[in-house]
Amino acid sequence: MKSAIEFKVNGERRQLEVEPWITLVEVLREILHLTGTKEGCGEGDCGMCIVLVDGRPVNSCLMLAVDVDGREVLTIEGLAEGGRLHPLQESFVERGAVQCGFCTSGMILSAKALLEEDSGAGEEEIKRGLSGVLCRCGSYKKIIEAVQEAGEKMKEKGRR
Amino acid sequence: MKLHYVGKSVPRVDGLEKVTGGAIYSVDVVLPGMLYGAVLRSPVAHGRMVRVDVAEAWKVAGVRAVVTGQDFPHTFGNMIKDQPFLALDRVRYVGEPVVAVAAETELAAQEAVGKVRVEYEKLPAVFDPREAVAKSAPLIHEHLEEYFHLPRYEIVPGTNICVIRTYSLGDIEQGLAEADEIFEDEYHAHAVAHTPMEPHAAVAQYFPPAEEFTLWSSTDRPHTMAKELAAALGTSLHKVRFISTYTGGGFGGKATMVAEGMAVALARFTKGRPVKVVLSREEELTASQTRVGAYLQLTTGVKRDGTITARKAEMIWDSGAYASWAPEVAFRGALQIIGPYRVPNLELRSRLVYTNKEISGPYRGFGTTQVTWACEVHTDGIAEKLGIDPLEIRLKNGYVEGDSYINGQILRGVGMMETLQRASRAIGWGEAKPSPGGSKRRGKGIAVTIKPTATPTESYCFIKVSDDGSVAILSSAVEVGCGQKTVLAQMAADTIGVPLASISVPQSDTHVTPYDLGVCSSRITYHMGNAVRMAGMEVRKKILKFAGEILEADPESLNLSEGKIFQKGAQEASLSLKELLAKKIGGRGGPILVAEGHYTPIGSPLLAALPGREGMSSIFWMFATHAAEVEVDTDTGMVKVLRVAAAHDVGKAIHPVMCEQQIEGSVIMGLSNTLFEEFKMENGRILNDTLADYKVASTMDTPEIVSIIVETEHPEAPFGAKGVGEPAAAPTAPAIANAIFDAIGVRFKELPITPEKVLSALRAKTKNGA
Repeated sequence: MKSAIEFKVNGERRQLEVEPWITLVEVLREILHLTGTKEGCGEGDCGMCIVLVDGRPVNSCLMLAVDVDGREVLTIEGLAEGGRLHPLQESFVERGAVQCGFCTSGMILSAKALLEEDSGAGEEEIKRGLSGVLCRCGSYKKIIEAVQEAGEKMKEKGRR
Repeated sequence: MKLHYVGKSVPRVDGLEKVTGGAIYSVDVVLPGMLYGAVLRSPVAHGRMVRVDVAEAWKVAGVRAVVTGQDFPHTFGNMIKDQPFLALDRVRYVGEPVVAVAAETELAAQEAVGKVRVEYEKLPAVFDPREAVAKSAPLIHEHLEEYFHLPRYEIVPGTNICVIRTYSLGDIEQGLAEADEIFEDEYHAHAVAHTPMEPHAAVAQYFPPAEEFTLWSSTDRPHTMAKELAAALGTSLHKVRFISTYTGGGFGGKATMVAEGMAVALARFTKGRPVKVVLSREEELTASQTRVGAYLQLTTGVKRDGTITARKAEMIWDSGAYASWAPEVAFRGALQIIGPYRVPNLELRSRLVYTNKEISGPYRGFGTTQVTWACEVHTDGIAEKLGIDPLEIRLKNGYVEGDSYINGQILRGVGMMETLQRASRAIGWGEAKPSPGGSKRRGKGIAVTIKPTATPTESYCFIKVSDDGSVAILSSAVEVGCGQKTVLAQMAADTIGVPLASISVPQSDTHVTPYDLGVCSSRITYHMGNAVRMAGMEVRKKILKFAGEILEADPESLNLSEGKIFQKGAQEASLSLKELLAKKIGGRGGPILVAEGHYTPIGSPLLAALPGREGMSSIFWMFATHAAEVEVDTDTGMVKVLRVAAAHDVGKAIHPVMCEQQIEGSVIMGLSNTLFEEFKMENGRILNDTLADYKVASTMDTPEIVSIIVETEHPEAPFGAKGVGEPAAAPTAPAIANAIFDAIGVRFKELPITPEKVLSALRAKTKNGA
């Protein structure tokens, strides 16, 4: 038995019929082919699959697809606007915050939610805000620096 | 040559793909008609398979293949060919693949796996390698002698010892007799999980009419794995093709067939339909690979002034159920137990032992993290007993330029002392200890490491120039995250004289990109860098020859820089590379220039050593010092790493920020291994099989990290570059343990150092003291 859902992904309206047990990460990766969202554990422990739902970071492996009905989802693919990278994406490349890249979308989206609440977040707030995303390459130091820098850019230019 | 890119931290060439979600990893590969695989794994640690019943599994809707070991009775193993794709008649660890299923959906495959019935006759199991060496221990591989093994490994049939290596130098008895003090200790470096954020994943497709396999895999060693698979199947390399994707972290764990083996076994039976296998996190933690756990006994003779006169080491390495790459860890990695020290008299014995546990294999450092742990905690203990400063004893015994390695190789490009001096300075070594008060105690510790690179190994590459001046580097140096693509592009851009932006580094494909051993042993920047340099110089020469023809000038009088041809000394370019190539080929198109680069260290005078011992030489040596400051809470046992100063002799930093990434990342990984990570086991079953229970460091654990890049001269290195990734992880653990000793006076010899252990040691200390 499938349920009809309608929601926005990266600004586009999508209508789908999904089984009630299908998770958001499965919908994103397997049905909508948005593979920039990764899955690292399927249990909400690693943060690879974090996307923004109505602006809030969510482990998409723990959210059922039926629960996004009527809501707005942002994935890494929707972050650059008009071919222009988001300040976080720019800073992640410029500051060397990317290594293998597997955690990058979870990190950037978590950071976006954090900076939109407080673009002046300090090191401790950023550490706490990103603690749900693991990075085995251990890029944490440069990730924290990149987020701080992006926060400054966002404040300066009023960019979001 | 003016360097526009080498030595500068340019934006990484894979950065844009990775921050926009465009980078494709193995888990992302989808092919038409693709099926999904799932695996039934052994619930027993050691047993004989009495009956396997797959009838019910076939009845699940959507099932397209159910494969047992009897259906696909091949074995693999590069060093010792001991590992079946699927258990044949015996299982040797909890988690061993027994039956694989391919189905239209992942759910159907998992459901079918649940319907397979296997009856096991349990056999006695052994989990501790120190017990497994005993003659009376249950034998895990009854016919060890029947397996193919590389001749360099001495096996001991009739026992669980699959590799034994001994090495001696000088006269151990005399060396010990000359000592004023003899120190004996035993250390344990535990097994840890590689924990790549991308689980092992592969897609395999079989083309039945030609009996060909194609794989999409995130292994870091595509050619080596293709050879391993071809050898396992008794086929040729042209029948086995590995196409690389991005790798979501490997750290050594993606060197061997894990998902690949399952995908191949299934694809063989799906009539040409591709099969994808992705490990769950539980499988990743319990049934992929671990670091090789090791028990390391050291006996060291020392003069009163701290001069080392002799060292004996007895090492037992835990291979787990199969050999994988662990033989080389026990063979080569074991040697770093001596540390970067001049030791004139040596006696080493290293044994790799099978146990009924998850397979172990290479882990960032190839044994170096384990032995450095023992060597450097031991060194600190010696300094303490002799009343010598821990920094001083290392400065006294440490290698300097021109010293002789234990095989007689003369060491060149030795930045060891500078790493010690700069790391210790950065941590404020010798400054008064702050006392935060209350239950908190602070301390500082230092540790050093030495790391060879696998020698001799080969790297080949092709460089291709298209008719608009675009350059492609065709190499099998997979991008695992360390910036392989970027550093190769930087070196090619400066060697040829073209803009970095005109260079692409496509993913490797073993049918297209030439042979390379693999991304391991910190070897790519040096080896593939040299190959790229050679091919780049050849391309440059060809371009300047064209230019000479077109401009009617002597090629020697021309220069190519940033994609423009200049008469030497001229400010204005004569023409661009694109214009030159258009003139040369007149719009007919085509890749008009191709060059091959091949680097091998064979024949290098740098490898000269004592007769018969040349095999232990390394074409370059890496040195590093980590100095840590910790705060121990004596009420809770919690250890907080406040600061780590990490100095690495990298030769020359091609990309300083990427060197820092390796150093910082290793400090995080080392800290995580030291304080948090541990498998909890019960009868061979790993109990903590989630990332909630197997803890790795998060942002919250990030200390202040001071990365120090030490540069030295190496005569054969491309632009002077050696390597950095592997040694980086080794000195962190002993530096932390030594700092803990400085803080609370407790010497830990076993990893990890958990709050429980700290508290119980503090209690024991108080009790003994009182």
